[in-house]
Amino acid sequence: MFTINSQNPTVRFILCILLFLIVVYPISIYGQKEKSTMTITSALTGKYPPFSYFGTDGKLTGFDVDISKEIARRMDVKLELVTTEWDGILAGLLAGKYDVIIGSMAITPERENQVNFSMPYYHSGAQLFIHRDNPDKVYSIEECRGKRIATGLGETYQHYLEVNYPEVNVITLKSTAEIFTLLEQKRITGFVSDRLVGTWQINKSGRPFVPVGDMLYREDIAIPVRSENKILLSKINKALMEIKEDGTLQEIHNKYFGGGKVQSGEQNEIMPNIVIIRKLLRGFAITIGIALISIFIGFVLAVPCGILLTYRKGVLAVPSMISRTIVDFIRGTPILIQLLFVWMGLGLSPYIAAITTLGINTMAYMAEVIRAGLMSVDPGQARAAQALGLSKIQRFRFVIWPQAFRIAVPPLMNSVVALTKDTALISIISIPEVIREAQSIISVTFEPGKYYFITAVLFFVVTFPLMKLAGQLEKKIKQKGYVYD
Amino acid sequence: MIEIKNVSFTYADGTKGLIDFSASFPPEHIFGVLGESGSGKTTLLNCIGRFLTLQKGSILIDGENIYNMKELDFRRKIGVVFQDLYLFPHLTILENMILAPCKVQKVTSQRARIEAKEMLNRLGIDDIADSYSAQVSGGQAQRAAIARGLMLKPKYMLLDEPTAALDAGTTKEFAEWLRELQEESNFIIVTHDVPFAKSIASRGIYMHNGRKIHSGNIQNIIDVWDTDFK
Repeated sequence: MFTINSQNPTVRFILCILLFLIVVYPISIYGQKEKSTMTITSALTGKYPPFSYFGTDGKLTGFDVDISKEIARRMDVKLELVTTEWDGILAGLLAGKYDVIIGSMAITPERENQVNFSMPYYHSGAQLFIHRDNPDKVYSIEECRGKRIATGLGETYQHYLEVNYPEVNVITLKSTAEIFTLLEQKRITGFVSDRLVGTWQINKSGRPFVPVGDMLYREDIAIPVRSENKILLSKINKALMEIKEDGTLQEIHNKYFGGGKVQSGEQNEIMPNIVIIRKLLRGFAITIGIALISIFIGFVLAVPCGILLTYRKGVLAVPSMISRTIVDFIRGTPILIQLLFVWMGLGLSPYIAAITTLGINTMAYMAEVIRAGLMSVDPGQARAAQALGLSKIQRFRFVIWPQAFRIAVPPLMNSVVALTKDTALISIISIPEVIREAQSIISVTFEPGKYYFITAVLFFVVTFPLMKLAGQLEKKIKQKGYVYD
Repeated sequence: MIEIKNVSFTYADGTKGLIDFSASFPPEHIFGVLGESGSGKTTLLNCIGRFLTLQKGSILIDGENIYNMKELDFRRKIGVVFQDLYLFPHLTILENMILAPCKVQKVTSQRARIEAKEMLNRLGIDDIADSYSAQVSGGQAQRAAIARGLMLKPKYMLLDEPTAALDAGTTKEFAEWLRELQEESNFIIVTHDVPFAKSIASRGIYMHNGRKIHSGNIQNIIDVWDTDFK
């Protein structure tokens, strides 16, 4: 979260100036141009169905979007919607990137210290949902002692349950789709989620789940504005009051939550096939792009590294030892840890972290392959080249390396296959590659089997020809008799 | 004339390769170096070829110490074909032959190719020019390796056990072929194949346990050999 909390007045001053130049200044210029019609800029994530999501036509839609439009209409201003990540949404408001957040933000004391909230426009809260068959016979969270209750990873419910109901066995899962699958198979007793979102998701997916007991706690959802924007706040409150009193709010609410079970087949309304295909292919393009760049960097580094590894004695003994240590360390530690270390520990941006980690991993594995390739060339080859008068470098360049490289090609191809598969890991550092896209599709369609399988097939389409090619090259190399044993 | 003066060489594991070895190889057309395996023949060849560093003694070629010679000058005096040949498997026979002329002598690839083809023609193996080493027979590979060595036109050509991989029939053909090559270089042939040596060389030396036992006429050497071992 971006806040100016330095105690040093000079630093604070410089930061303020910078912030002004970067954020406020361009916006204020923009504002001057648009003086004739006032504009209100509102932020939301676009990833929180049914409150905000992209509809069939690719346009933003949802409960929050409808509310935003109503407020703007009543304030007689133009509405501009900005989508941003939830992580930095409040910092963006404080930095003046937009005027308001009409994006399902709950009022909390911490947030109230930073911004002013409007009156609430809906209430929600934490709700326990169970399977309709209720095999564990629980009717409230208090009865879930020792029972397995799921929450989404990183959601506040996990922390809340651990503090307030320590006897509940809290299971954290990556996505709603996973939670639904487990509950359908009755492998968990229930799950805790937002009351409205949970209800909507259950309806949408047509699962036999029901809410039980009271809400664990209640949240008031309101619209934050910067504390200096007092006039804006009162206008918003006036508009909200009107919306509430003339029944518009109820109408909008019914539009999204009133209908009961949604017809099956309608789920594709929220994400039509063309959008799904586009998302998957775009994700896969990112996967392949990162794989290609990493492989290139890895290979370029692996060549000198692999050569160094063969010089265990002599002038290059020390660089050789350093290479050996690096290669061993990288090969001896999980790539997942390396990825998290580079991303969080070194603070690199996700793409740079992914390319760095995967590139260095490729380097380590390929260097080992290249070393093995060099070692498998008969030392007599170098002597024969020497007998022909070739210098040390010429012997390497024209005799040893071409043979070593040909020997190394099949295992290098296998490294490429392994690396391509390893890119799957980068989904955890928030890169929208194919697996993350699949997960986001599954979070709406609730079809994990189908989309994980399609993702696997996408990988296979790339890796299979590589594996075949490696096999064929290996055969060819054996025929030509490069390998000395 | 190659003169070897009081050369000793002991391997790192203590094995004695050459013990106070002295001999001279006159520029004979084909000169034989005979000995059982382990007699130090290959060590001698590796010393003459500068693949091993002498621990004692000196080797002179036409009066000049080989360790004072520039690499290229030296390689133009002494060519070596190893027992295992070491043709470069990633190159065709023709490419094997033009590598040194192109890269070391900086001859254009075009000219080197013409010269290599002429050489292959002369040696009667022009049909394998575009083959890879794995595609040719043992006898052809042996000839190809010699052809590759001859491209630098060395004054002396050392062949290590050239018949080791050949059967009796091929050996006979190879001997005839080699005799026709006498104008190309002075061949020094290291071998333990007595009939082969007898069929091609007129003079030679006989080695045993890292020492020279006898030198001179090939028939004399074989007589001494026979009394020693038979």
